[in-house]
Amino acid sequence: MFVQRRTKGGIFAAAVVAAAALVASALPAHAETGVTSSTIKLGVTIPLTGAAAPGYNKIPAAMNAYFSYVNANGGVNGRQIKLVVKDDAYSPAQTLSVTNDLILKDKVFALVGTLGTANNEATTRLVNSQGVPRLFVNTGFSGFADMKKYPTTFPLFPSYATEAKVMGKYLADNFAGHKVALIYQDDDFGMDALKGFSTAGTNFVAKIPYAALSQAQEGVVGTWVQNIIKSGADTVVMFGVTSATGALALGLYKANLIGKVQLILGSVGSDGTTLKGLVGPALTAALAGSIAASFLPSPADATDEYITQFKAINAQYNAGATFDNNVLVGMNTAMLTVQALRAAGTSPTRASLIKAIETKGSTWASAAFSPILYSPTSHVGYTGYWFGKLGLDGNAVSVDGPGKYTLYTTDSGSAPVVKASATRPAMPAKGLPKN
Amino acid sequence: MKHKSPAVRLLLLVLIGAVLIIGSGYVDQLRSYQGAQAAIFAIAISSIVLLTGYSGQISLGHGALMAVGGYAAVLCQTHLHIPYPFAFLVGTFAGGVAGFLLGIAAARLRGPYLAGTTLALAVGLPSLANQFHILGGEQGLLFDVGNPPASLGSDFTQYRWFFVVAVIAAILVFWLLRNLLSTRYGRRWRALRANPTAAALSGIKVGKAKVLAFTLSSCVAGLAGSLFAMLLGLVAPLAFTLTLSFTLVTGAVLAGVSNLGGSIVGAVVLVAIPELSNTAAAHFGGSDKVTANLPGVITSVLLIATVLFVPNGPKLPRMKFLARTRQ
Repeated sequence: MFVQRRTKGGIFAAAVVAAAALVASALPAHAETGVTSSTIKLGVTIPLTGAAAPGYNKIPAAMNAYFSYVNANGGVNGRQIKLVVKDDAYSPAQTLSVTNDLILKDKVFALVGTLGTANNEATTRLVNSQGVPRLFVNTGFSGFADMKKYPTTFPLFPSYATEAKVMGKYLADNFAGHKVALIYQDDDFGMDALKGFSTAGTNFVAKIPYAALSQAQEGVVGTWVQNIIKSGADTVVMFGVTSATGALALGLYKANLIGKVQLILGSVGSDGTTLKGLVGPALTAALAGSIAASFLPSPADATDEYITQFKAINAQYNAGATFDNNVLVGMNTAMLTVQALRAAGTSPTRASLIKAIETKGSTWASAAFSPILYSPTSHVGYTGYWFGKLGLDGNAVSVDGPGKYTLYTTDSGSAPVVKASATRPAMPAKGLPKN
Repeated sequence: MKHKSPAVRLLLLVLIGAVLIIGSGYVDQLRSYQGAQAAIFAIAISSIVLLTGYSGQISLGHGALMAVGGYAAVLCQTHLHIPYPFAFLVGTFAGGVAGFLLGIAAARLRGPYLAGTTLALAVGLPSLANQFHILGGEQGLLFDVGNPPASLGSDFTQYRWFFVVAVIAAILVFWLLRNLLSTRYGRRWRALRANPTAAALSGIKVGKAKVLAFTLSSCVAGLAGSLFAMLLGLVAPLAFTLTLSFTLVTGAVLAGVSNLGGSIVGAVVLVAIPELSNTAAAHFGGSDKVTANLPGVITSVLLIATVLFVPNGPKLPRMKFLARTRQ
């Protein structure tokens, strides 16, 4: 509905808006789906069971912890936020079934932080036909920023193409003259990366593709290591998930190459907690000095005002959950949601929520060292990365020193990579947005 | 022992279908979706009933055969731009080809070995999508069948349209299977299931009969897969997991594996379980962990109870015209 209004003539649109405003002012406030005088109901689908659950299953509890904190402090314009959590076991079929429940039975106002690319694709038809806002989807697939196909969807994370372009720039600035090999996942994830590296003009001495999840298979990692040795590379870019980073670390260890090749890790492949769980603390410590791209601050950074505030809320409202990247993502998503709901007005509607994000979203407080590019003509979220060095505990510390961040921003297309010192809105007092 | 002619059976099925389709105008979208889901599950379960209940072969890999059907339908529609009803036919055919190849191997295997082979297929096949770019990788390929025909009016929801398509497909499948099972092929398969040696001694070509059963069963699974793709709007490896294969076998056991009409019951139970578990969890105020795991518990308990108390499936007098005639 929204798109239709946008594409028609301006005068007609203005007339419709004016007429709607007249009607709305004449009638008693119409209650929007999922909104009562005292509550706002939101929904999220995420894997709580199955192979993909570990890690991700901590996100809804973290979101709920932040919402409980806000609720205890008066809620949003007097309304308490209620989050309905549905398990989809990472299966698109189940995502669709439980999203049907959320939208048609639970009648949620909006979806927030729904996880997975195929999972979000499967529910798009339903979401579009019902005009349900779908905020801050948890996937790096840049396609969701297409406002024609996904008029009510707001991706948040930067795209993989953006990340590869930024890494290409970082390599050119800091590793000129080095022999660099690339390991990438042989699917859309990796294709996006190749596109980004090619835009950045990065030359690799070897490009090593692997099928998703094959890192666990016998012999696969051995081939990577052989290819690295054969190419004579002294620097290896690992553009894959953390379990692939772990497998590579073990392979390099067996070949006695740890410390001899410089590792450069993508943002999805460098989660310190996961890495430690995979390869143990000793090998994690041996990987110290590896470089990693990130957009959120490190969850271990005790000097970061967002981290300290979220940690305090986590301690009080999240029943002893360890504060890691997943908790950070959950809380950050929840805080953006609260700002969106506040900006949607005292009688929020789905249309006013979407409008609020498009017109004001770029100014909101968020933990990432990156601007948010939401506007009436763009649904692109974060666009930037900073580079860190892994410490002995597997957590990244900025290459410029603790608390100092250089931000590299660009888009998924051909725009140049811009380097700037990172600034972001301050954490609202006590972590409670007053926008 | 009462025989109904194919025409009478068709009439009965069409009547049931008509009642369902007209009835779907009086329920909300959620029920339409669940109805479509149940109809697709019923088709998929009937493919297991045909295979296991009649020819005595077991398959833990029918989820993968559904994937073959689904991907074939989507690829054809995307690249050849054929109308989607034909995409369903392509899906059916592709499932059959895959099943024929698998059936050749399967005919030489029995019991646990056959289970193992088909299980490997269920584990391995969907991940093939990650190896070939044309298959869209982890995020899959979109399958858009468009809006319901405009002539049905603007009130006619997408889910109701899916329900109508799925019910029509289910009626065709049940009618064809029921007729097939009362021919000599059906009798051969039953003889085979009861005792392969005796069947061979009576002149039945055991291998050929088994391969035929596997091929036809896979055709039906392929059709179910392409309908499933329609419902989801996409195909992706994660949509055709091992869990799906096991769910189908569970549905077949709940139905009573040699009871074609029972497929409908099995399908309805499968669709109803999450609903029941949600209600139960809400009633007991369970945590997210309880809510997430309750459906699995209910399914397991039902499965065990079925095997213990009604191994041939629940008795359903009204479904008699679909049920296998028992001597």
